[in-house]
Amino acid sequence: MTDPQLPQACILPEGESPTPVLPRGLRRVPRGVDELATEHLIVNMGPQHPSTHGVLHILLELDGEEIIAAEASLGYLHRGIEKLAEHRRYNAVGTLLDRADYVSGIHTELAFAQATEQLMGIEVPPKALWLRSMFSEIVRITSHLVAIGTYGLDIGAMAPFLYIMRDREALLKVLESVTGARMMFNYVRPGGVLADLTPEAEPLLRQFLKTFPGYLDEYHTLLTGNEIFQARVKGIGVIDRATAIAFGMSGPPLRASGLGWDVRKERPYAAYDQLRFDVPVGADGDCWDRYFVRMEEMRISAELIEQCLDGMPEGEVSAKVPKVLKPPAGEAYSAVESPRGEVGIHVVSDGTDTPYRMHLKGPSLMNLAVVDEVMPGHKIADSVAIIGSLDIVLGEIDR
Amino acid sequence: MSSAVLSTALTAAGISAEVSDEAFGVLARVAACDIAGALMALRDGDGAFALLVDLFATDTGDELEVTYHLRSFARDEDAYVRLVVQYDAEVPSVWRVYPAALYPEREAAELFGLTFPGHPNPKRLLTTDEVELPLLRKSTPIRTNEEVHDR
Amino acid sequence: MSILVRVLLALVLMLVNGVVLIYMLRKVLAHLHLRVGPNRVGPWGVFQTSIDVLKLLTKEDFIPAAADHWLFRLAPYMVFVPSFMAYAALVLGPRTAFSRLDTGLLYVFAVLAIVPMGVMMAGWASNSKWSLIGGMRAAAQQISYEVPLLLSVLPIVMTAGSMSLTRIVQSQTGYALGFIPRWNFFSPQLVGFALFLVAALAELNQTPFDMSEAESELISGFANEYSGMRFGLLFLSEFSNSFVISALGATLFFGGWLVPGVDPASPVMVWLGPVAFIIKTYLGIFVLMWIRGTMPRIRIDQMLELGWKALIPLSLVWLMITGFILQLVRGVG
Repeated sequence: MTDPQLPQACILPEGESPTPVLPRGLRRVPRGVDELATEHLIVNMGPQHPSTHGVLHILLELDGEEIIAAEASLGYLHRGIEKLAEHRRYNAVGTLLDRADYVSGIHTELAFAQATEQLMGIEVPPKALWLRSMFSEIVRITSHLVAIGTYGLDIGAMAPFLYIMRDREALLKVLESVTGARMMFNYVRPGGVLADLTPEAEPLLRQFLKTFPGYLDEYHTLLTGNEIFQARVKGIGVIDRATAIAFGMSGPPLRASGLGWDVRKERPYAAYDQLRFDVPVGADGDCWDRYFVRMEEMRISAELIEQCLDGMPEGEVSAKVPKVLKPPAGEAYSAVESPRGEVGIHVVSDGTDTPYRMHLKGPSLMNLAVVDEVMPGHKIADSVAIIGSLDIVLGEIDR
Repeated sequence: MSSAVLSTALTAAGISAEVSDEAFGVLARVAACDIAGALMALRDGDGAFALLVDLFATDTGDELEVTYHLRSFARDEDAYVRLVVQYDAEVPSVWRVYPAALYPEREAAELFGLTFPGHPNPKRLLTTDEVELPLLRKSTPIRTNEEVHDR
Repeated sequence: MSILVRVLLALVLMLVNGVVLIYMLRKVLAHLHLRVGPNRVGPWGVFQTSIDVLKLLTKEDFIPAAADHWLFRLAPYMVFVPSFMAYAALVLGPRTAFSRLDTGLLYVFAVLAIVPMGVMMAGWASNSKWSLIGGMRAAAQQISYEVPLLLSVLPIVMTAGSMSLTRIVQSQTGYALGFIPRWNFFSPQLVGFALFLVAALAELNQTPFDMSEAESELISGFANEYSGMRFGLLFLSEFSNSFVISALGATLFFGGWLVPGVDPASPVMVWLGPVAFIIKTYLGIFVLMWIRGTMPRIRIDQMLELGWKALIPLSLVWLMITGFILQLVRGVG
């Protein structure tokens, strides 16, 4: 029995080669579960929905509370960043990329700056490298804080979010004093960084580092130790290692699935080859592991900031670069470990002052693809938990 | 070292490829019709390129390049596979080899006017139906708001 | 006093409660969340809720075209009226009550059982999928938690030997060991109170059981399509329900209007009784808000499991134990 009113979007036409590897969200499920001829309910989750983290739109096919199929539908935030970048000079692309991943803009900037430096063969002074590492870690903490806080909101706990926003403020003050902005930094430029630490930045950071372990304990009390929170996230949204690799995931979701691949460790950039840090790895790949990997990463990031403050070399914050950057023709790929995963920038240059082609490899897009596969079989409430645990940013998915 | 691995894996699978060391990594150029077989050989061969990092297209001005960025955890190496096709050409979908290609293929199809036969869900990914495609080809101009409005 | 005056007084109490409770919720949640809460309209923002009610009253009353008009209009009253009716049974003081019901407890539960029907009606009539899911959740929740709620108060009915709320309060007079008030809370009925608290949270649609609203999943559940004063009624009855349940809790477990150290028969209780009662009730509501500000939301299947597999068996066991002990005590005495 077919219903002409139901949207066709979610499901393949019947008989169209469902093979075992096809994401479960794309597999056709027969309507009419039993003799009662009950029908599945197709619900649009988003683009206006409080917990899809922006304008994500997911089509859910529901059998009561249970999700039968899910399909993400994207593009509500498409701004054509890749096209616009082809019409901007190299030093102006950073502002676009800030707006790609608007929660951790500095990483996307950094990837682009590195790609440009590769093309031009610019030697970046050591102080700039250390500053890049330090600010990457600062932004990583702010971004993970948002992820954890909104994850609490998704699960229904409002308090952690506001406690986290209080603590994030300390870091935003540092970012504001050094870069002049709280979100859209445009701090990392080809050749180095915009500015050195301001006099008030270091005491603020030291103060933060002193209080942060206490803050983390507070979040652990509010969320980690909560029986209901554990019941909601443990064993939910399990992504095994093979699935994670097959779907090209990266970042905390990949590490939660048991593969400790971190660009900072495997392809060291900035000053990471001189810093000591561990990469937390999960075991089961469920929402709990993804949550916990982030909590651990924040602790490690705080240690990294301290190492950076202590080991910061003296010198220039930027190499001498021409006002108009004209890299020779060629291609470059540069990857950076952002809070969401591997951000890659592939730049093709044709020798002019604008990139011929710039491709942004967003980790959120790859991490999101697994949603179609993981969601079926869970409850509606779990769909929110799964999306939140993947920590996607729609700006970077839609570009 | 990696280029040798690539060429042996591809020749073992009977696929003619042109492997070169570029500034950004090892690049294998294959024909469009061979791409699924080539990626399969690279994934299951000695290289063990388990991960598709990315897939993107480039408009060279005369034709389209589609690049597959692969990574091997076992060898700790990256490799690129590239194919060149005419505009509006068909490139076989590789989602059976790498499910990760599902979204990027849709994106490339939409923004460059390619077709990926065999893709299970060949809809637009980023734009709505009213948007004129393909946006990322060099022939598509950028217009300001005013220009769009006056059209 | 004529019936009309009593009804009006009850309505005033309910509306004032609503306004005060919404303000209180905002302030309590704000302070739990390191925020300030409303502080612009009037001193400490005390007039914020009144202004909000005014706003709700003047807003366009929007009914979706595809909604079932009759049911859509009826649903807010189905929710509001029963929760108003429940006030009739409340006994505020030794000489203060809206009516004297011999089966007050039964009446309150009977009336409150209508509320989820209204919620379901609202969910269905809105013709929105999210609302529908919210309504169905409300129904599931009500079926599974009405039973333990009733079972958790039955032991008290057994000890007091009456369903009249006045009698239940009177049965709690006196002191154990000379100084502990003989409230049910301080007796072995503590177990009953724990059961009552959990079941009441679910019955009230409160975090961690706010299934039918679940703003992070169902946006706002059954109330999705409502606007203006219809939404206001749904919202208000939620607060009035929590007042009623909290008042019941105060009556059943905390000695209602009784004040430790004051003779219940003394004339001062005529005004002290209601004050003590309201204070106890508001303390109960504060605890509910505290839980609301701290706890995450449980999942629907986990909630139903808790209801059927834990709360109902536990309350049945507790009922049997109470009955057994009572029989023993009476048999001996």
